[in-house]
Amino acid sequence: MPSVRLRLCLWIWILAGAAVAGAAGCAHAPPPVQPWQREHLAKRALRFDADPLEDRFRQHWYGAREGADLGFGQPGGGCGCN
Amino acid sequence: MLLAAGGGAVSLAAAARAEDLVTIRGAYYREPSTRVIQPVVEIRKDLPDGFDVNAHYLVDTITSASAAAGTTIDNIFTEIRNEVGLGVGKSWERTRATLSYKYSAESDYWSHAMWASASRRFWGDTATVGIFGGFSLDQVGFTVRTPPCRTSTGSSCPLDSVFAGLAYTQVLSPVAVAQINLDSAALWGFLANPYRQEPNVGPEVFPDRRLRNAVSLRFAYYVPEWATGFQFQYRYYRDFYPGGLGGAPDPWGLTASTLEGRIYHRLSRDLEVRLLYRQYFQGPPAFWCDIATNSGCSPMASLPPWPYGTSDPAVGPVRTEYPEIKLYWEAVSLSSVRFFRWFAAGTFEISYGRYFQNDAFGNAHVLQTGYSMPY
Repeated sequence: MPSVRLRLCLWIWILAGAAVAGAAGCAHAPPPVQPWQREHLAKRALRFDADPLEDRFRQHWYGAREGADLGFGQPGGGCGCN
Repeated sequence: MLLAAGGGAVSLAAAARAEDLVTIRGAYYREPSTRVIQPVVEIRKDLPDGFDVNAHYLVDTITSASAAAGTTIDNIFTEIRNEVGLGVGKSWERTRATLSYKYSAESDYWSHAMWASASRRFWGDTATVGIFGGFSLDQVGFTVRTPPCRTSTGSSCPLDSVFAGLAYTQVLSPVAVAQINLDSAALWGFLANPYRQEPNVGPEVFPDRRLRNAVSLRFAYYVPEWATGFQFQYRYYRDFYPGGLGGAPDPWGLTASTLEGRIYHRLSRDLEVRLLYRQYFQGPPAFWCDIATNSGCSPMASLPPWPYGTSDPAVGPVRTEYPEIKLYWEAVSLSSVRFFRWFAAGTFEISYGRYFQNDAFGNAHVLQTGYSMPY
């Protein structure tokens, strides 16, 4: 029998999936930005994935010094801090 | 990666199709007892029919005053970690899928990780849904003791994990983008540090299972008149022990909040600066205590079958701050300079940050530099 917290976690995932599916249902409405309005969207300031290698290094570093990394994508570390 | 900063590496891989690009990068991390030098090279290549591939190789050179940094054991050593990663992606008109593999090896830790991701744009390409999931199979090596998980014929203990993430990104206006991420990872196996010894207690003991969860919100806004953009992120993390506890208290319960702000400003046609400030607040898990200053405080040592205990600073009441400045220089002005014109198509970057920690690790200098060039 899963614990209460495990069930809560599963429900959060289910609700998040439902919310995303619901958002997809908005696709019939006019999009908030038209193709000719995308001039600035490629700028670093509006991208969350502009520095993937830097993100990888930061994740490894935070995973070694803080406890809230998710524990994947940063194997080992030399300091035994798995 | 995760779609969030903490998980960012995995999910970001799904966000966009690669271009033909080679990147070399170096990072230098220095705190009072530990120094890390990490060179890395990555290459990406587009292929026909919407396919693309990428590969990376990095070396971590870690010099530390102790095999278990933060403990009272003082022993200078240098450790080398090699990591290689391969990925393949396939893009359709509005959908992208990737499959990635990574292998990491050092003298006392080996890890295989594989994950897949998929993303799809809709609503006039203003919304993107991304999912990813994968697993890792790690081995923790032992040279100084024999924990119960170590078999008589082996010299390591397993640490396995499965992880998944969900991200939704929405373009709100021509100058505003928002994103929400949900990430979880379940780990089971040897979760402790194989070297850490608690004073008057012995080796630290971690629970053998952990379910880690994080949700993060991101928002970005750009002001064209100022050539300036702003990003803000909030991330909340909490973990717990998955499964029945038989009425015993959950040994986990580590919580953390991360706030991060970034300002991007274009100084000239070729030069952009990024200012970053991050704050991190962490509450320790139930089984943590500062044994070094309060012997006998192990809260779970007397609660069989949960004889857990650690004073690892990384899972204690951590608070960190990180201000950083970074410069991006698009090297087009080198196009008229002999020899150096070969680098004119690329972008140089350099950053310096100061990592303030309130625990035994002490404050750190962080220097990163890199160069990316399309080919």
